[in-house]
Amino acid sequence: MAGVITPAQPVSIVVNGVSKAFGPVQALVDIHLTVRAGEFLSLIGPSGCGKTTLLKTIAGLVPADAGRIMVGDRNVTGPGRECSVVFQDFALLPWTTVQKNVEFGLLPRGVPAAERAELARRFIGKVGLGGFEEAYPAQLSGGMQQRVGLARALAVSPQVLLMDEPFASIDEQTRRLFQDDLLSLWSEERKTVVLVTHSMEEAIYLSDRVVVLSPRPGRMHQIIDIPLPRPREAGDVRATAQFAQLVDGLWKILKVLQ
Amino acid sequence: MTPPTVGETGFDQSDLGRSGLAAIAGLLVAWEGLGWLDISMFVPPVSDIAVAWWHLIGNGTLWNAGASSLVSLAKGFLPAAVLGVLIGLAMGRFAAVRHLLDVWVNVLMSAPLSALVPVLIALFGVRDTVVAATVFLFSFFVIVVNTVTGVRGTDRSLVEMARSFGIGEAALFVRVYLPAALPAVMLGLRMGAVQAVKGLVVGEMLISLVGLGERLIYYGNTFLLKELYAVIFSVLLVALLFSQVFQAADRALIRWK
Repeated sequence: MAGVITPAQPVSIVVNGVSKAFGPVQALVDIHLTVRAGEFLSLIGPSGCGKTTLLKTIAGLVPADAGRIMVGDRNVTGPGRECSVVFQDFALLPWTTVQKNVEFGLLPRGVPAAERAELARRFIGKVGLGGFEEAYPAQLSGGMQQRVGLARALAVSPQVLLMDEPFASIDEQTRRLFQDDLLSLWSEERKTVVLVTHSMEEAIYLSDRVVVLSPRPGRMHQIIDIPLPRPREAGDVRATAQFAQLVDGLWKILKVLQ
Repeated sequence: MTPPTVGETGFDQSDLGRSGLAAIAGLLVAWEGLGWLDISMFVPPVSDIAVAWWHLIGNGTLWNAGASSLVSLAKGFLPAAVLGVLIGLAMGRFAAVRHLLDVWVNVLMSAPLSALVPVLIALFGVRDTVVAATVFLFSFFVIVVNTVTGVRGTDRSLVEMARSFGIGEAALFVRVYLPAALPAVMLGLRMGAVQAVKGLVVGEMLISLVGLGERLIYYGNTFLLKELYAVIFSVLLVALLFSQVFQAADRALIRWK
């Protein structure tokens, strides 16, 4: 397959009637959702609403019990090359360097070693970690480790980026800088992004649309459009009245669900 | 951003640090003093033991007995290490293998292995091979169990990450499970090395009467206590050096911790 590592057009995701149970616990019930090509969409909801499960079903890591998921024109039955996942706990290999960690995703794609090294270096630079190629994960802060996770996900040039609470274990200041960097990276390489978060501000600041899931079992509750102008990372969007209203509106929805 | 801080590893400390050497030196001085007080024939001065040790090296006794012991140690430990790691990896990765072998490994690991001595004699006769067999039995199970623990302790999220990139089963094993298990495997080998020396002494003293174990029995029975202590120290030295080898290998292989 040609062009495995060349940037491709973003694709849409269609989730059609997906349900999932873990033993007696019903995690997701009849989820219908379309993520548009190139859209930044967040999933939010109370703890245990199945938002991470939904993300992992889209990633092909958790099989759905019922329903089907299309990523582009591929029917999801397992992990596919269109999608990259960024994990909440970073999931970096502790025994090897930043460079080798970022190269990891390219291994199953048969990219030649020299090209692999070059691609990894480029994306390490893009996430702002140039100079740290030979560092081990344990020598980096949490924020820097997640930047490695992002570089690893981007290095395979996915059409879809799936992020599972990527900023949850990162302190507030680092998180805001990282969010801005993520937005400018996203505007450079247009990808379809699905982000799981429990932060209302984060969901609104980053997304085109925010999907609210109801608590266990997880169902679609509401979809909110975020009409804030872009680019948001340059300006002072968080300080605007519109931002405050959106956060307040989202809070009113979530409050009832808790 | 600040420059990278690579190389801040602090691995220059060994098990036998300064405090360890000081403790040993202190004990030896106290022992020497007790020896000069001539309380009992069972406490000869350390200096006399050292002289006896020097003689045993000079007349070839320790070399001959030691060489025979080291050969048995190698013949028992090497197969235990190779088979132990391989079986441990298989048990760690495949539930079917684990279910088949788990109970045996657990029973034999907790069994008093000296009780198997009569069986070993029946199987191998009273020859050098039986010593290698005791070495194997003493070291094998701890290597298996540690390897299994290492493989099974692999971080689930690393496995999920690897799968998300579409990695195959073989590559998953080599690139994720194996490196994740390595620290536990090395620990198992080190514990196995210590167990192997125990097995060696048990085999040589209880069954075969060869090597350093034979010398222990002989000097003990004839009350040549300086020589007895000299051989005991030699055995301790072998055990210590053997486990230090694995500690060094551990440090060389696992630099990331």
